Amino acid sequence: MKQKSTLKKLLGSREFLLLVIVIAMFLIVSAINPAFFSFKAISDMMKNNAVTMVMALGMLCVMLVGGIDISCMSALALAAMSIGMLFKYGGLTSTILAFLIATAIGTACGFVVGLIISRADVPPIIATMGFMYIWRALGYLVSFGGEWAGANVLGTFPNFGTGSLLGLNNLVWVIIIAYVIFFIFMKWFRLGRKIYAVGSNPEAAQVSGINVRNIKLLVYTIMGVLSGLSGALYVATYASAQPNMNETTGAMDIIAACVIGGVSMSGGRGTVIGVLLGSFIMAMIPKALPLLHIDALWQNTIKGVLILVVVVVNAVLQRVADRNALSRREM
Amino acid sequence: MAGKSGRTINNVPESSVKRMILSWEGILVLVLIGVNIFCAFFSDVYNVANLLRQMPYYLAEMFLMIIMAFILVMGEIDISVGATVCLCATVSCIVCNTGAPFIVVILATLVTGTLCGALNALILTIFTELPPMIVTLATQIIFRGIAEIVLGSGGSISASNTQGFKILSTKINLGFGKVPIILFLVLIIGIIFAVILGKSTFGRRVYAVGTNRLAAHYSGIHVQKIRFIIYTMMGTAAAICALFYVSSSYGANTTTGNGYEMDAIAMAVFGGISSTGGKGNLAGGILSAFAIVCLRVGLGQKNVHAQVVLLIVGALLVAAVALPNIIGSLRRAVKKS
Repeated sequence: MKQKSTLKKLLGSREFLLLVIVIAMFLIVSAINPAFFSFKAISDMMKNNAVTMVMALGMLCVMLVGGIDISCMSALALAAMSIGMLFKYGGLTSTILAFLIATAIGTACGFVVGLIISRADVPPIIATMGFMYIWRALGYLVSFGGEWAGANVLGTFPNFGTGSLLGLNNLVWVIIIAYVIFFIFMKWFRLGRKIYAVGSNPEAAQVSGINVRNIKLLVYTIMGVLSGLSGALYVATYASAQPNMNETTGAMDIIAACVIGGVSMSGGRGTVIGVLLGSFIMAMIPKALPLLHIDALWQNTIKGVLILVVVVVNAVLQRVADRNALSRREM
Repeated sequence: MAGKSGRTINNVPESSVKRMILSWEGILVLVLIGVNIFCAFFSDVYNVANLLRQMPYYLAEMFLMIIMAFILVMGEIDISVGATVCLCATVSCIVCNTGAPFIVVILATLVTGTLCGALNALILTIFTELPPMIVTLATQIIFRGIAEIVLGSGGSISASNTQGFKILSTKINLGFGKVPIILFLVLIIGIIFAVILGKSTFGRRVYAVGTNRLAAHYSGIHVQKIRFIIYTMMGTAAAICALFYVSSSYGANTTTGNGYEMDAIAMAVFGGISSTGGKGNLAGGILSAFAIVCLRVGLGQKNVHAQVVLLIVGALLVAAVALPNIIGSLRRAVKKS
């Protein structure tokens, strides 16, 4: 059997198709409105979508093992609200400490969700739905029934969101570091490959000595870590913490970014690069619409149609590929 | 009748009081009674009259639960219903404001909901390999997006001609309190669909599809036809829910129906309907729905924050699914040792 050449493999991959779409979208919008084509505009776009972009990595891990996590936005709210209240009443001033506390709370949330799913065999959608309510409610309780933590009590913490290092915004650095770590982790680390193994065939993974339950626990914990981290990022970006943050959108934007990026719901398929491009597309839509003079009201409809089109086109392409593979075998 | 092995095969299931109480439905009856006793102690204004007065607001979600049970029994999920409710409520307000007779309002709402459901059904039956979660996620965003476009920048609309909607919120005096007609409707529709799911050929086919889709297909069941019918019905149920929503709030906005899909799924799953398919029945779903409604009314009377109620619902939901699994695995571990 002849190996496909690297170039051909690259051109045929899903990520390449996505890259073409991203570049095409980028060029079209820039041609209509040159204001889009600037370093600052792209940096701002990444900054405003830091939460979605970072959490999409966790959702990638969860969806790779065939699960789903709709509780992550509530975990984010709980972590963010906790540090917001600590700033307000607890005398917390250190930025690093705030990040650590938020991440620790998120990790605990993810660990509990992972335990329930992996040890009690609760279907992921049901378990995370329950915890979506529970974490959100705890967020309200932490905030004494709906108090806000505004910019006036956060002290120097919001400076993290506006500050920059080597000419790049701190949040952009966080995104870049997170994606680099995950790219290496998912591609070359044994644990990362185990996640793929469990996702593509749990039984085979179990037989070959992988502890499927622990891998499931791991992915939800990773999701929790990133939720907590994103909670701190959220507070730093918007300089406020309120218990209803991201309540309406929920995890749907994150799942949508993953799906557009080619992560399969049934598990085992999806890459970090795909998620990066998928979340870029999701981030570009709200940014591009005003420049194209389309009313912002159309934003959600266009997002939804885009997800539907991507999923359907993917299914059609898969069918064609399957048919081609079959016809080749008959010859 | 003696079988080949000499054992007697008894086809008639044993029925005893112990079995009935130990079944999930039996536990749910106890939970329902427990919830009512708790609420009666917790809130001093918790009585039948007040319960009946405050119930309709929550009962509308039960229409969603009834059809959601069918979808869950098939082992699938529809998270677009909340957005469908939003779109239907918007349409009913708009049609109502044109001064059309109320029957036209009802028809327009039902048609909108059914079309939304049919769109889901069409995509899911043409591209059978697509996961329902993703397709309904996309249509959820689309339906709410359309409602946002229609509602414009204000984001809300109110029904000016409330005469028609008042019919839907009428109450019938039965001596012990004024019973809202939505309660009758929920019970009647619930019982009809419980019989359809539990006793009719169609219902048994739904279970077959949920247990093993391929086997169902090979035994001559039109799997896609059944899926199409159920997803379309889900849209119609969302329209009915929207009509009752408007009849109690006389308006709609862009957040109308937010989270309804989760509430409906929670009611069904707490009622013992497995989201992995093939398990559970509507009797459990209806009992659990009433338990949750009573809990919400009771805690609401004492001004308990709505989020705390959701916390309890969420904890109950996780516990209801996790505990039987944990007990089962413990029992297996004990048997092994």
